[in-house]
Amino acid sequence: MEYLVSTLTFTGITLIGVLGVYMVTGLTGLFSFGQAAFLAIGAYISAVLYKNLGLPLPLAAFVAMLVGLAAGLLVGLPTVRLRRDYISLVTFGFGEAIIAVLNNTANVTGGAMGLSGVPQRTSFSLVLASVIACLAVVISYKNSKYGRQCLALRNDELAAKSMGINVERLKLVTFLIAGVMTSFAGVLYVFYTTYVEPGAFGWVISAEWMIIVFVGGVNSLTGAVVATVLLTGLPEFLRFASEWRIAIYCIIVLLILNFRPSGIFGEHEISLDFLRRLFRKGARAA
Amino acid sequence: MTLQLLINGISLGSVYALIAVGFALIFNILKFSNFSHGGLMSVTAYIGYVASVFFGRYIKALPLFVVILLAAALGGGLLAIVVERVAFRRLRNSNSSVIYYFISSITMGILMENSVTIFASSNFYSYPSFFPTSVIRFGALSVAIPDLLTFLFSGSSLVILLVVLFRTKIGLAIRSTSFDTATAKLMGMDPNRVVAATFFASGVLGGVAGVFLGINYTLYPQLGQLIVKGFVASVIGGLGSISGALIGAVLLGVVEIFLIGLVGAGWSPVVIFVIMLVFLLLRPRGISGVIVQEKA
Repeated sequence: MEYLVSTLTFTGITLIGVLGVYMVTGLTGLFSFGQAAFLAIGAYISAVLYKNLGLPLPLAAFVAMLVGLAAGLLVGLPTVRLRRDYISLVTFGFGEAIIAVLNNTANVTGGAMGLSGVPQRTSFSLVLASVIACLAVVISYKNSKYGRQCLALRNDELAAKSMGINVERLKLVTFLIAGVMTSFAGVLYVFYTTYVEPGAFGWVISAEWMIIVFVGGVNSLTGAVVATVLLTGLPEFLRFASEWRIAIYCIIVLLILNFRPSGIFGEHEISLDFLRRLFRKGARAA
Repeated sequence: MTLQLLINGISLGSVYALIAVGFALIFNILKFSNFSHGGLMSVTAYIGYVASVFFGRYIKALPLFVVILLAAALGGGLLAIVVERVAFRRLRNSNSSVIYYFISSITMGILMENSVTIFASSNFYSYPSFFPTSVIRFGALSVAIPDLLTFLFSGSSLVILLVVLFRTKIGLAIRSTSFDTATAKLMGMDPNRVVAATFFASGVLGGVAGVFLGINYTLYPQLGQLIVKGFVASVIGGLGSISGALIGAVLLGVVEIFLIGLVGAGWSPVVIFVIMLVFLLLRPRGISGVIVQEKA
């Protein structure tokens, strides 16, 4: 039972990270290879503030999210004006730079040895509540004017621009929201595992999140959620095959890309409206 | 002393140039950043190692080194063709948008890296030393022989590539396809063959780079992540420009060597990231000044 709860908690934290990637990649069509660095920022800042400076937890979490916001600005401002490739390259460099900083400030962060001895303050119910809150944010963003602008921008940047959408601001805002959300996931992460090390935040993590979004379907939030549960939750129960886990992931993704490029869910969402329609259709058939 | 660092930097930069040019080739023709190049370099580094064990019984020193480079280059080239076939052929045929190429290349890269992890990570490998680690003296300057050979071999691979690109028929086909795929097709070029040839060329460069990385560092599955240097070099030089990639890579190598002297190896990624940011703010099109338009 405890094992199940811990798996679900980790899945929940990953889900928040994936939601951030969904906003950046799924909605806006940008690729962030440094999303895990925001996780690192959230985790390290909040843990250091709480442990070394004795700040109350909510304040530490808040400051960590602010730092995430600032880092997002630093990366986002120079790159949103450019071709999309640049944002992937810069975020990639950003991720590596953050890891280098963590490794080189050993007196504060513990360097490559990691930061240990953080008290466990995250519980499953807190993670669940956070997941619901983040989902609410993403759903309302997707259905808002901004969400629709993001979709337009993803499909054709030039056309979106000529329709009067402020493409640069939109990209920046989406990137920032995702960054703050991922930093928050980092806070949850460190106060659950009680131990963090720089190696856990490499670009492979960011790439894995993107893969999850793609398996679910680029444009489907439901898909992202389902894929997160499938790809992070289930492998925990299949630990015996851990060496092959990533390889199997990759093969699945390649198959999906080649044969069903829109992902499992494509553009579909499971919403109340959708269920109502399904129900009506069923009633009519009966 | 400064001149000494400069020479070391150029030698390092020539390896980065191999990575950056292999990356720029694909960018030119398919207009996306090929992240699978890193995984390919991991695999070829191990191919080179296997070749060194296999041929090491018969030959030594320089001939062995050449054989290893050839094996890794050939292996890399063939692997790149396989990658293209598996990861990109269907996407190209269905005219998918760039993001699918992207995700496909990342996945392919992780898959290759992970295959190496599965088959080789439990043991520690390193290349045998090919040359006596002596130095050649030019007056006050001393150049380590490995550095010199790195520079010579990377340089000659790049020269061969440039000759192929600018002096042969297939090179012409590659250049015209990267300029405009549809028109090249109308002129009777088979895009599949041209793209396969480009991937082969890129894989050959990646293979050579993989061996040098394996020699400079130890062999480990994540070796290919040094591809980030190739990316940075292309950003500095201008995305998709071959000459830009060359200049950017040599510049990056030199800057990096100087930074290691100044701030230490640990902090140099941070400084390089800041340099890259500044470059993007001030001159986003890179040194070469070519900017790739999204559309129209």
